[in-house]
Order: sequence, then C-alpha cells, then structure tokens
Amino acid sequence: MTVKIKTLERQGSSFIEKIYLREVFRGMRTTFDHFWRNLLDNSKLYVRHYPEVQPEITPRWRGRHRLTTHEDGTVKCVACFMCQTNCPSHCISIEAGERVDGKSEKMPVRFEIDLLECIYCGYCVEACPMDAIRMDTGIYSVITTERSSVVKGMDELLATPGAFSEEDYKKRGL
Amino acid sequence: MSQLDILLVVLRVAFGAFIPICFIAIGVWMERRGAGFIQDRSGPNRCNIFGFRAGGLVQNLADGVKLIFKEDFIAGHIQHKFYFVLAPVLVFFTALVSFAAIPFADTLVLGGKSYIMQTIPLDIGILWFLACTGFAVYGIILAGWSSHNKYGILGGLRSAAQVISYEIPMGLALVSLLVVYGTVNLSEIARFQGQLLFGFIPMWGVILQPLGVVIFIVAAFAETNRTPFDFAEGESEIVAGFHIEYSSMKFGMFFLGEYVAMFASSAIIVTLFFGGYQIPWLATETMVAYAQPIAIVLMLLLPFITYYFNKWIRKNNASQYYRPNDPRVREANVYITIFWILAAAVEIILLTLVVINPSADGVRIFVVLLQMATFLLKATAMCFVYVWVRWTLPRFRYDQLQKLGWQILLPLSLVNIFITSAVVVALS
Repeated sequence: MTVKIKTLERQGSSFIEKIYLREVFRGMRTTFDHFWRNLLDNSKLYVRHYPEVQPEITPRWRGRHRLTTHEDGTVKCVACFMCQTNCPSHCISIEAGERVDGKSEKMPVRFEIDLLECIYCGYCVEACPMDAIRMDTGIYSVITTERSSVVKGMDELLATPGAFSEEDYKKRGL
Repeated sequence: MSQLDILLVVLRVAFGAFIPICFIAIGVWMERRGAGFIQDRSGPNRCNIFGFRAGGLVQNLADGVKLIFKEDFIAGHIQHKFYFVLAPVLVFFTALVSFAAIPFADTLVLGGKSYIMQTIPLDIGILWFLACTGFAVYGIILAGWSSHNKYGILGGLRSAAQVISYEIPMGLALVSLLVVYGTVNLSEIARFQGQLLFGFIPMWGVILQPLGVVIFIVAAFAETNRTPFDFAEGESEIVAGFHIEYSSMKFGMFFLGEYVAMFASSAIIVTLFFGGYQIPWLATETMVAYAQPIAIVLMLLLPFITYYFNKWIRKNNASQYYRPNDPRVREANVYITIFWILAAAVEIILLTLVVINPSADGVRIFVVLLQMATFLLKATAMCFVYVWVRWTLPRFRYDQLQKLGWQILLPLSLVNIFITSAVVVALS
C-alpha cells in the first residue's frame, strides 16, 4: 500500500513576499471585495436569520430524546437498562417495575434523562433492543430558567411526538 | 475679546472635544458592521428603539448601558488602587487631547480678523501630537503594572518595547516630512498641501513622500495598538494583556480610548499626508472666489446622491424572509423621508447662497463648513482603513514585530531622510 504524498509549495520566502506590502494589499483586496459585495446588497450575506428562519433538521440529526409506544399506546421500553449502561455521561436513570399490560415482564416506573448531562451521542438509541428510545424529535434548543425542569421524566418523554415519518426515520442510514 | 471671539473659541473647543467622542460611536459601529461584512455575516442589526435600528448604531447604546451597569470591581490583591484607576483615565485623556492640535478647516476670516480653526492654537502642532500619543503608552504600562498580574505585566512590557521600536521610525518619517514642508505647524502643513505640483497634481504628502506614508502609517498602527500590532492586548497569547483585571467602565475607558486614539491618529495621517481639510484642486482662495459655482454644482449633485443613497436604503433595509407587513420597510420609509428633508434643507441653504449674493463673511463660513465636512470625510475613510486592516491581517509574531521595526522601517526611514534632503537641497 502506497501512501499518497502531496508536497505543498512553501510560501513567503521570496523577496517580494518578505516586503509584506504586496501581500498585504492583495489580502486587503480580498476582504474589500467581500465588504463591498455585502454592503451593496446584504441579501448576499451567508447568514440564516435565526430565530425567524429555522434550520432544516434531517432525520439523521440527533435532537432531544423521546420514548416510543406500541400501537395500543403502551410503552415499548422493557427496562433492560441497556441505554443507562451504555450512556457515557450517566444522564439516564431508570427504575424498573412489574409490567401489568402483559407485553413483557418489566417496564420502567421512572425514566429520567438529565439534559444538562446528556452529550447527545446517540448511544442509547443504538443500544436499545426494542427501538423504545429515539432522538428524532427535531428539538435542538432546550431553554429553561431552572435546573429541575431540564430533567425530563417519563411522561414528557412519552408525550413528545417524533418529527419524521416512520419511512424517513428508517431511511436515515445508520 | 468680542462676543464673536468667545463664540468661536467655544465652537472650536466643542469641536475638538465632541467630535472625537462622537467618532467613538461611529468607530465602534464601523468596526462591528465592517467586520461582519468582511466576514460575510451581518454584525449587530437587531437592537432597536421603537423599531428604529439606525443600521445597527443603537447597539452602541446597549453596549454602553451594559458597561456602565456592570459591577465596578477592583481585585483584592491590587495594592496601588490609585494608579489602577488612573491608568484608563490616562489612556482616554491623552488620546482625546492629541486631537486638539489638528486643524479641521482653513483660517476663518471674519470682518478682517482671522481665527485659527484648531482646538488649541498651537504652533508646535505635530510635536504636541507626538508628545500626547507617546504619553498614552504610560497608561497602558501603568495598567499592566498596577494590575499585579503576569498577563498584565507582559502586556505592559510588550507595549513599552513596541512603542520604543516604533516611535523612532515614526519620528524619522516625520523628519523627512518636515524637511519637505519646512514647518511643524499643522495649519501651515495643511495649507502647504493646497498647492499644485506641476500645476495639476495636488501637493499632498502622499505624493511628495510615498515611502514616508508607508512608514508613518505602519508606525501609527503600532502606536494605537491596533491589529496587526495589538501585542499589549494579544488575547490569544496573554488573554487580555494590560486590561485583564479591569471591569465595567474602567475597561470601557480603555475601549473608548482605543477608538479615540484611532480617530486622532486617522486625523493626523489625513492632515500630514492626505491634504487635511483641502479639497483637491480647490484651495481656500479659489473656493472663496468661486463660491457660487461650487454651490450650484453641489445643488445639482445632492439630489442624485440622495436618490441613490435612498435606493440603497430601500434595497438593504428589508427583511430577507417572509414577514407580513414588514416593519423594516416602514422603518426604511422613515429614513428615506428624513434624508429627503435633510437634502431639501441643504438645498435651500445653498439656494440662498446662490440667489442672494452673500457678504464676504458668509462665503468664508460656507468654505469653512465645506472644509470641515471634507476633513471629517477623510478621517472617516482613514478610520475605515484601520478597521479594514484589522480584519484582514493576523497579528505579527513578537520577534517579527521587532525585526520589522528595527531592521526594515528604521533603515528605510533614514534612507528616506537622505533622499528627501538631497532633493530639497537640489531644488532650492
């Protein structure tokens, strides 16, 4: 196996470059071109007018978490602790209890995610054997005035809908 | 002293005191919006009063309010609190008074008496400027030393070393310039530049001293601690350098002082090299003689300038996303109306000048106003060059700075003196 080597030409050693002046003026021409173009027509700025214009979120994008449900509305999570064990920042805490709806043996009675701890790595989603936790809500901005409201409980995680259709989510190519 | 004398003294002191302070707002605004446009982003454009954003100028008010209401904190380890507080005052004050010797219009002749249009009527002009800007660095060194902080000390030290290496090329560039002008009086220097070389080129310093301009401008950048020579601050190396321990308005004074120094130094560059208040090809006496034709030309030009400027406002002062009943269009309408009213007012004043043949005094005042406008326009353009360079060039390495100062600028300025003196002696 040969390694491809690209030799870059060294800049800045010729006499005219050491005088600086010509290079300074060339640099200033470049910046002035940008300045003048934007001054004449500021619709050419490379900016998104956030928050009025929101960015487009793709299905691959990892947003805030949610817990998914079966079609009859029961929680998919079986409290296997896979996500909690996998979480590198220890932001998930689950308390398991006996399941009463007959889907399996266990279900969470408490499922909390501390969003201040979370690093949005998506390992919980990958670890889940039941497809019970997803990060497809498209929520990227969580704002609050108190810390306690950033710890999301099971009710809120279940109530948040996904932002994409099932086909789009499946096609996200992970 | 007659009442007129007192009025003119008050007016010129007011000009010298308030114009640099007004230019803080313009400088900060130009820096932020200019940086934005150079980097293809928009800069501060949201701050408003009742929806009026004035192109982002309102942001300055918000910044000022923020700086004033922050906690004015002096760290417990600082032993010399007096010097600590004195330092920002020194920086700001020396920057402000260094503007005082700069003429902003030609001598005003009213009723046979002439009034010098300088804040302080000094004959030593340029020496005053050198003394004041040289003193500004004491504020920086004092701030660094009294902060009792290693970054502060390093910042002050760097600033001291830098000023020593750049005052010399600056002074030597000035020597060759003074050989050409034959005077240190800034008013006379500006008047000298109203002449014509070979009868058709304005005799500006930039044409007589092309090498001197480069040396002086580089040294002036170093003197005002602006990029690419902002070693005293050097945020990527020594955090914030000399003002690391400063907060609230004490930091604000350093910040404002930098912009006042920038304006004062733009003004001196303009005065020495770009003709000061002189309008090219229109010396004061020519303007006095042809006041009415000039007024007519201005009257014809003004509607066109206002029209295109308003068109530019209309195009750029609009929301770039869908917004029902766009408030920015309403805002633009108000601006456009204001500019048309202003233009109409100026037109009426010019019309009176053309229709009613005014006295000699009226013509003189008209000429002085034109020259003041020219001077401010040139100084603003030079301030823009400061901003432009700041957002183009990265900071030098420290050894590169010293090498540039001692090994390139110093010999070059000496060579410049020899050549200039030889030419001046040969011609006279």
